Amino acid sequence: MFHALVSIKQVPDTTNIRIDPETNNLIRQGVPTILNPYDAHAVAAAVEWKRKLGGKVTIITMGPPAAVTSLRECIEMGADRAILISARQFAGADTWATSYVLSEVVKAVHEKDPIDLLFFGKQAIDGDTAQVGPGVAVRLDLPVVSYAVKIREVNLEERYVIIERKTESRNEVIKTSLPTALTCEKDIAEIPYASLPDLVYSLRYEPEVWNAESPITFDPALLGLKGSPTTVFKTGTPEKHIAGEVIKTEELGVDGAVKAALDKILGVEGMASILGVQK
Amino acid sequence: MTRRFWVYIEQEDGKAHPVAWELLGVARRLADEVNDNAVVEGILVGDNMEELAREAIQYGAQTVYVVDGPTFKNYLNKPYTTALSALVKKYDPEVLLVGATTLGRDLAGAVATSIGTGLTADTTHLAMGEVKGTVQKLLLATRPAFGGNVIATIVCRDYRPQMATVRPRVFTSAPRQADAKGEIVREVIPITPDMINAEILEFITNDAASVKLEYADIIVSGGRGLGGAKGFALIQELADALGGVVGSSRACVDAGWIKYDHQVGQTGKTVRPKLYIAAGISGAIQHKVGMQESDFILAINRDPHAPIFDVATMGIVGDLYEVIPAMIKEIRARKEAQHG
Amino acid sequence: MDKNQKLEFDVIVVGAGLSGSAAAAIAARSGLKVAIVERGQNPGSKNYFGGALYTHSLLEIYPDLWDRKPPLERPVTETGFWFLSKDGLVKATVQGGKVNSNPIDAYVALRAKFDAWWAEQAQKEGAFIIPKTLVVDFIRENGKVVGVKTDRDQGDIYAPVVIITEGVNNLLTQKLGLAKHDIKGDSAALAVKQLISIPAATINARFGLTDNDHGLAMSVMGDVSMGLPGLGFIYTGVDCVSVGVGVTLEALREAGIKPYELLQRYMNHPMIAPLIAGGRLMEYGAHIIPEGGWKDMPQLYTDGVLVAGDAASMVNALHWEGTNMAIVAGKCAAETAIEAHQKKDFSAKSLSSYRTRLDKRFIMTDLHQYRNLSHFLKTHPDFMAIYPTFINDALGMFFTGFGKPKGQLYKDILRSLTDRRPLLKAVGDIVAFGRTIIGI
Repeated sequence: MFHALVSIKQVPDTTNIRIDPETNNLIRQGVPTILNPYDAHAVAAAVEWKRKLGGKVTIITMGPPAAVTSLRECIEMGADRAILISARQFAGADTWATSYVLSEVVKAVHEKDPIDLLFFGKQAIDGDTAQVGPGVAVRLDLPVVSYAVKIREVNLEERYVIIERKTESRNEVIKTSLPTALTCEKDIAEIPYASLPDLVYSLRYEPEVWNAESPITFDPALLGLKGSPTTVFKTGTPEKHIAGEVIKTEELGVDGAVKAALDKILGVEGMASILGVQK
Repeated sequence: MTRRFWVYIEQEDGKAHPVAWELLGVARRLADEVNDNAVVEGILVGDNMEELAREAIQYGAQTVYVVDGPTFKNYLNKPYTTALSALVKKYDPEVLLVGATTLGRDLAGAVATSIGTGLTADTTHLAMGEVKGTVQKLLLATRPAFGGNVIATIVCRDYRPQMATVRPRVFTSAPRQADAKGEIVREVIPITPDMINAEILEFITNDAASVKLEYADIIVSGGRGLGGAKGFALIQELADALGGVVGSSRACVDAGWIKYDHQVGQTGKTVRPKLYIAAGISGAIQHKVGMQESDFILAINRDPHAPIFDVATMGIVGDLYEVIPAMIKEIRARKEAQHG
Repeated sequence: MDKNQKLEFDVIVVGAGLSGSAAAAIAARSGLKVAIVERGQNPGSKNYFGGALYTHSLLEIYPDLWDRKPPLERPVTETGFWFLSKDGLVKATVQGGKVNSNPIDAYVALRAKFDAWWAEQAQKEGAFIIPKTLVVDFIRENGKVVGVKTDRDQGDIYAPVVIITEGVNNLLTQKLGLAKHDIKGDSAALAVKQLISIPAATINARFGLTDNDHGLAMSVMGDVSMGLPGLGFIYTGVDCVSVGVGVTLEALREAGIKPYELLQRYMNHPMIAPLIAGGRLMEYGAHIIPEGGWKDMPQLYTDGVLVAGDAASMVNALHWEGTNMAIVAGKCAAETAIEAHQKKDFSAKSLSSYRTRLDKRFIMTDLHQYRNLSHFLKTHPDFMAIYPTFINDALGMFFTGFGKPKGQLYKDILRSLTDRRPLLKAVGDIVAFGRTIIGI
C-alpha cells in the first residue's frame, strides 16, 4: 500500500493584499486565505498516485484553527486523513523552527504508518522561501528532489521513485530510494474536480488536531519565536518609484507617441548600440 | 580572528552561474563594511574545478575552497549539502551567500538545517549593521514578502554563519581583474556511495528553460490587455525587431496564453534589462517587484490610471494594437535608414 | 458518513446571494434540511453590485441583526441626485430629517464581504452550503422537479422544493420555461464600477462627512453616460469609494461605446475626478442589472420550484431597490416552501401562495407601478441628458447674472431649455415621466 504525506500551508491570497496608505501596514482583515497553490498541485499528485497504486494520502499543516478550510480542500481532492498542528507555542516560527515541528510530526505518522513519498509545494506564496521542504528532508535524512515537475515511476516493490525536476537550464531525471521528499511545481499534476459526494464529505470532515503536548511532545526550546534563528529586524513597504512622463496617443497621434518614446529611449546612453538603431 | 564572508559559487558543467560573480561583489562590499580582518572567500563544489577556481579569484575571491571529484560532477542535494556543511563547520564563516537559483535555494535550505543556523531566502538588499544587544555588526538581509507588498529585514543573532540566498540580477557583477591573486585550497570530503541516495538518470533539454529572461538586455512583456494568446505573436514581433526576448505577466501565464518560463514578477523571474517594455500590463505589485529595477521602462496601456505608469520611465496611453505595430514599423525604418 | 448515500434535502437553494441566503436561513430556522448550492469559491465571490442595503429587509430576516455585527460600511446619511453638465454640478441631496432615522434606512456594503457573512448567518441557522458547484439542470420525476443536477460527478441532489436565486443569468429559470428568453438588451443595464481605496479621513473631507458613521449614496444624472440613457452612481464605504455607471445594453451596443470608456469618461469628469484623486483601484467589475421589472418578470413558480431575486427581475431601477426585494422575496419563497412541507404538497398550485405573499408586499406593487419606466427611457432617449444639463445652466445663470437686467436672465434661462427641447415637448416629457413613475 502506497502512503503519501503532503505538508501544506494556508496562505493569504497575495494577489489581494493591500497596504494601509497611511500606516504602511499590511491590511490582513478581509484578505481571503487560500491553500498555497503549489501545495494544491502536490496534493493532486499524491492523490493521483494513490489512485494508481492503492493506498492513502495524509495531509499535515501547521497553522491557526482557520487552516481547517485548506485541509478540507485537500480532503475534497481525495486525501484520506488530515492533521492540523496548532498551538500558540508554534506561533512566530521561522523556516527552521517550522521544519523542526513538521519533521517530528512526519516521524510520528511514519512510525505507525510508514510513508513512501513526502510531498511539499515548491514554496509558499506568502513567504516564498522554498526552505521548509528541504529542511524537513534534511532533518529526516531523506533524499529530496526539489522543483519536481513529473513523477515518472513509483516502484513500491523495489523501493524507488523516478522524478523529473526542473532546473534553470534543463530538466533532470532523478532516481531515489523510497522514502523520498519532493517539492512540487504546478506541472506535477492537474487539480482534480472532485465528485459531489467527495465535496460534501470534505465539507463535513473534521481534521485531527495535534498541539504542543499531545499526541507527541516537542522540545519547547526549539518552538516558535524562541526556536527561530532568524528574527524580523524591521519591516517596511517597497520604495515608490517616481513615475516618468506619460504621453497619450489621442493627443500626439499613434506615430507621434511612438516617435517620442523611441527618441527618449535612444537618448539614453548606450541604448542606440543595444537596439542597433540610430538616434 | 578572521571574519570570513563566503560565497557559494554555483556551477553547471564547469560554467559558473553569473549570480556567483554578483555575490562576490556584494561580499566584498559587506566585508569592507566591517573592516577588521574580513576576507571574501569562494566555495566551489564540482568536478575539474581548477579553472573555475582561478576565475573566481579574478572576480574577487581571496581564497577559493574547492571540493573536486567525479562524485560531485552534477548537483545532487545530499553530497553537495554534506560538502558545504563540512566546510562551514571547519572554517566557521561569518556570512554565507548563495544565489537564489533553483539549485542554490535547494542547497541553502538543506545546509542551514543541517548546520542549525538561520537562512534568509531570496534577499534583494544586504548590509552589515548594528543591532541592539549585539557587539558585532550583523548581516541585515532584506527581502520582499507577501507577494512583494512588504519588505522585511531579517537578522540572525546567535547562529553562524548568517546565511542568505540572493536573488540574481539584483546586484551588479564584481569586476573581473585578470591579475588578481588568491589562494586555491583543495578540500577532501569523503562521500560513500550509500550517502548518495539519488542518481541522475538523464538530462532533458528544456526548450522553455532557454528563455533567458534574467540576463536579457531587452524584454518585451505582454499582459492581460493583449486580450488573448494570439497577442503574444505581436509581442514576439516587437521583441524580434528590437532583438529582445518575450516576457509576460502572471495573468497571461495563468490564463494559459504563454508558458510559465516567460513570467516576470514575484512568482516568476526578476529581471533587470536595459529596456523593458510592458504592453497591456496593469502593473500589479507582484509584477512590479520583478521588473522595476530595469534601466528604462516603457509602459503601454489604455488605462491612464494603470499602476504600471507609476514605475514607468515613460508611458504611452493608447491601444497597444495601434502602438506596437507603429513601433515595429518605426524601428525597422530606423534600422534600414542606418544600414541602407 | 457514507459517500455513496443519496444526497437529500428538504429544500435546495440555488445561489448564495442575498435572496438565496435569506431563503435558506428562514427555511432552516423552521427545521427544514436546507442546502445552498453556490458556484463561487465562497458566497459573495461572484457578487459585486448592489452597494446599498436596506435595513428593513435585513431586520426582517434577523431581528437581532445588530448583535450579529454585520460587516456594513457606512450608513447612508446623505442621498439624492447629482446633476452633471459637461463641467458643472447641481446637487439635490437630502440629509438629516427623514434620512436621519433610527436605525438609518440604508447602508453601504461591499457585497463580497457582506454576502459571505450573510451566507454564514444562514449556515448558523442550519443551512448547508455546497460551494464551487454549478447547478446545470433539474431532476424531474413525472414532470415535476425533485432536485438538481450539478456539474460534478455523481452530482445529483434531491429535494421536493428548489428555490432558484441564480441571479441575472437566469439559465435555469429559462430551462424550466419560466422565463421565455435571456433578458433583453433594452431592459437590462450594463453597470461598470470601480472600487477605489481612499483613506477614511480623506473621504470624510472630500464628501463633507462628519465621521466614518456618515456616508453618502448618490444617483448621478446628466453628463455621465456619453448621451446614452443611463445613470451614474457614487457611494462611500469606510475607506473606499464606489463609482460606476449603468447604461442599457442595447444603447451601448448601438452607440458602439466600450463600457470601460464610459466609466473612464465619468471618472475623469471635472466634478468627479477630484473626489477620487490619488485613490488606488481595488476592484473593477461589470454586471448586468435586469431593469425590465414587471414586464420581464418570469413565471414565479412551477411544480417544485420557486424563483426570487434578480432571476425574477425584481429590481426597481429608479429607486435603486433590488437588494431588499431579493431578500424579502427570498423570505416569501422560504415561507412558501415551509407551508408546502406542512401540506406535503409541492405542486404549482400549492406553491402559488408565493405569488400571494409577494402581492401583499411592496415588491409587486412597486414593480407594477414602475412597469413603464424602461419603455419611457427608451422612447425618451435624451431625457437623462437634457434636463440635468439644463438644470446646471439654469442655476448657473441664475446665480451669476449680476449686473444684467433680470428679465433678460429669465429669457436666457428659458432659451437654454428650448434650445435643447421645444417647450411643449419639454412639458410633455415631464408629464410622461410623472405618469410613468406614478404608474398610470
